[in-house]
Amino acid sequence: MSDNTSEFSADAGDGETADPTADDMVIETDVASATSSSETTTTPDPIIRSRDLDVFYGEEQALDSIDIDIPENRVTAIIGPSGCGKSTFLRCINRMNDRIEACRVEGELSLRGKNVYDPDVDPVALRRRVGMVFQEPNPFPKSIYDNVAYGLEIQDVEGDHDEIVEQSLKRAALWDEVSHQLDSSGLELSGGQQQRLCIARAIAPDPEVLLMDEPASALDPVATSQVEDLIEELAEDYTVVIVTHNMQQAARISDKTAVFLTGGELVEFGDTDQIFENPEHDRVEDYITGKFG
Amino acid sequence: MATNNEIEGFGRVSRTAGTLFRYLLLAATLFGLVFVTILLVYVANDAIRPLTADPGWHLTFFLTLVIPTLAAGAYANRRDIAALRTGVFTIGFVVVALMFSGGAAMIFVDIVEPLTWLAFLLALAVPTAVTMAVVSYDHRVSFVAQFVVTVAAFYLSLFGVPGPLGSLAGVSTMVPSLFGFVAGLPFAPAPWLMMAMTFGPPVAYVGSRYVAGDRDRRTHVLVGAGVLAVVLAGGALAPFAGVDPVPGVVVAAVGIAPPLVYAAGTAVNRPTERVGLLVPATVVVGSLVGAVAVDVVGFAGPQSWVDWAFLTSSHSSTAAEAGFYPAIGGSILLMLTVAVLAFPVGIGAAVYLEEYAPNNRFTRIIDVNISNLAGVPSVVYGLLGLGLFVTYLNQPPGTVLLGGATLGLLILPIVIISAREAIRAVPEETRAASYGMGATKWQTVKNVVLPRSFSGILTGTILALGRAIGETAPLIMIGAPNVKYSLPAGLSEAASAMPLQVYAWSSLYAGDDFYQKAVPAGVVVLVAILLAMNSIAIVLRNKYQSTE
Repeated sequence: MSDNTSEFSADAGDGETADPTADDMVIETDVASATSSSETTTTPDPIIRSRDLDVFYGEEQALDSIDIDIPENRVTAIIGPSGCGKSTFLRCINRMNDRIEACRVEGELSLRGKNVYDPDVDPVALRRRVGMVFQEPNPFPKSIYDNVAYGLEIQDVEGDHDEIVEQSLKRAALWDEVSHQLDSSGLELSGGQQQRLCIARAIAPDPEVLLMDEPASALDPVATSQVEDLIEELAEDYTVVIVTHNMQQAARISDKTAVFLTGGELVEFGDTDQIFENPEHDRVEDYITGKFG
Repeated sequence: MATNNEIEGFGRVSRTAGTLFRYLLLAATLFGLVFVTILLVYVANDAIRPLTADPGWHLTFFLTLVIPTLAAGAYANRRDIAALRTGVFTIGFVVVALMFSGGAAMIFVDIVEPLTWLAFLLALAVPTAVTMAVVSYDHRVSFVAQFVVTVAAFYLSLFGVPGPLGSLAGVSTMVPSLFGFVAGLPFAPAPWLMMAMTFGPPVAYVGSRYVAGDRDRRTHVLVGAGVLAVVLAGGALAPFAGVDPVPGVVVAAVGIAPPLVYAAGTAVNRPTERVGLLVPATVVVGSLVGAVAVDVVGFAGPQSWVDWAFLTSSHSSTAAEAGFYPAIGGSILLMLTVAVLAFPVGIGAAVYLEEYAPNNRFTRIIDVNISNLAGVPSVVYGLLGLGLFVTYLNQPPGTVLLGGATLGLLILPIVIISAREAIRAVPEETRAASYGMGATKWQTVKNVVLPRSFSGILTGTILALGRAIGETAPLIMIGAPNVKYSLPAGLSEAASAMPLQVYAWSSLYAGDDFYQKAVPAGVVVLVAILLAMNSIAIVLRNKYQSTE
């Protein structure tokens, strides 16, 4: 998982993600010692690094010269008012913006030192290493099993798929609820269960980074808190980047927080505690205390 | 002011114009419907002539069929409206399934030999199995190797070595194809057993999956065995009813087994709707009792022009003996050809336009012109078929293949447009989920978009086929014979079609007799087949919408 291959050639997804189950075993025993580590003394190397990143939709600039270093195996929250470009930034990381025709990206955004916008990068291979969970739960109209196994099938992941599906569902805290109905449709689950199914689907092929675009905004409070607990646990093994408009949520679950403000600027980025307790910029303080936005 | 209002209330605002407008709109809505309905009732009356029956006949069936059915329906309705719906649906299912089994039986009685059919299925099944084995054996086998093995397996199985490629070069066949080998076997089981072998297992498999679902193995085996028994009984008992065993098997497998499976599924899986099955049961029992009673007492039934003889004989010089059989068979063959040609091309075009095509001027021009194509008069398509296939490619005029290709071109834009709508209805979030998992476009289309939109595509295609089945002008243009005395033996023989035969009967050269007897009967059969096809489309669409 932590090997430093920087090439996303077309077959990159095939080999490396060979045996996620071995990792899972470690995690199971490890969960108890998990702590939210906002006061880390040694900041790990950044896994995602952007320099001077501009994004345009046609003529309109959505992101303005973003510089950010997102650390590995931490939860990084991106907060900001609507239209500040936080989702746009998230979708730059796995190049989902490529699907929007009018979208143009300039500058550098690198994953483990490799600029993902280099011409030799295959966005499909990139997305096999960067999983994504969307705002609306969007399971496929397939069985629960097939939903989780989807990434394994399309990426030709080797190993016992039954085992990986079970592990992924357990890690998404959904196994106990669905283990007896793996053949029924994923759409029959409740909204919160569907979102956890989507998380299980995203982690099944064992990506390095997990992007979450307001994953709890369509959920009720109980389901939201389940998903939040889950995110904190996942940070043990994954780099989680989460976009949220809910500042309490960001304060609860993240180690690092990035504040984007109107105009697509990254105004402040730092440890979550510091951002919420003692922000450097007045605009950030105004936003966090609710004076604007 | 305020006090004034309190005393006088709020007053009234006139709605006369609005009310008038509303009823004008209602009239506009019903206008076409009413006229077509009146025409169809009139034609059906001419064709079936219910008033020629003995009043006693009507009374008997009223007592044995109508009243019990109404009573059963009312009872089911009082228990659960869903039960009544299930019951009525079952009746419709029986009718449509029997009609389709009749069509399928015609094909196996007159066009395809059971041995040829078996050989063809085997020749397809073996390479399909090889393909699946190659694909699932190892994902690492390169795509080119998989492709070569697959193509070679199908080629060997269907054509042999060196096959048509060799005969082009003048080399005679060295190794016979699997198809040729099986079709040429000197010994073979009885034809009806071969039919039961090919039809029974698939229907039994689907049926047991439907009824037993996640239940235990025993239920699966029971249901499967039950279906097989029905299919075999169709062949074994048909001679006692004066029917050949081959159509007996087909009717049992296509027309009788599926509704029975549906009824069994209702009884087992949906206890609250079980009572609804009383309705179809009453209809079946009531019809049988009524028929026996009428026969015993000697009441004469209606002198309908749509009778067994009309459906199974060919055109004759007298209207009373004229039949529709070759026209029905021709239409069925045309439909199959149209479906095989237009379905893949139409879906392919729709997938390209929705999923692959860049948004540029070229795409927009194509877009607009496909819509225009849907509005081109059918006679122009007939001219295209005549010019392209007959004059330019030197095909014989009026063949099934030619007619199918022409009608296929005619409905292609409709298929494309409806398939595009179905594909567009797949939510963008579902696609995003697939791409976000690192799926390629092809994997997304194959695994997510097509499965999700399949029933919508099928609905549109069936409705388009309904359009094709009623077309007359293109068939006249390509020289299809108005009157044919036998079913075409293959795709390269001339065939008539139902609308052509009706047109011939109503033309100047036929007598008044034909106009009053054969034409209404033909129209009734044509419309009944169309309604059956549309009902399938509607059921599919409702199912599709309810799973959204």
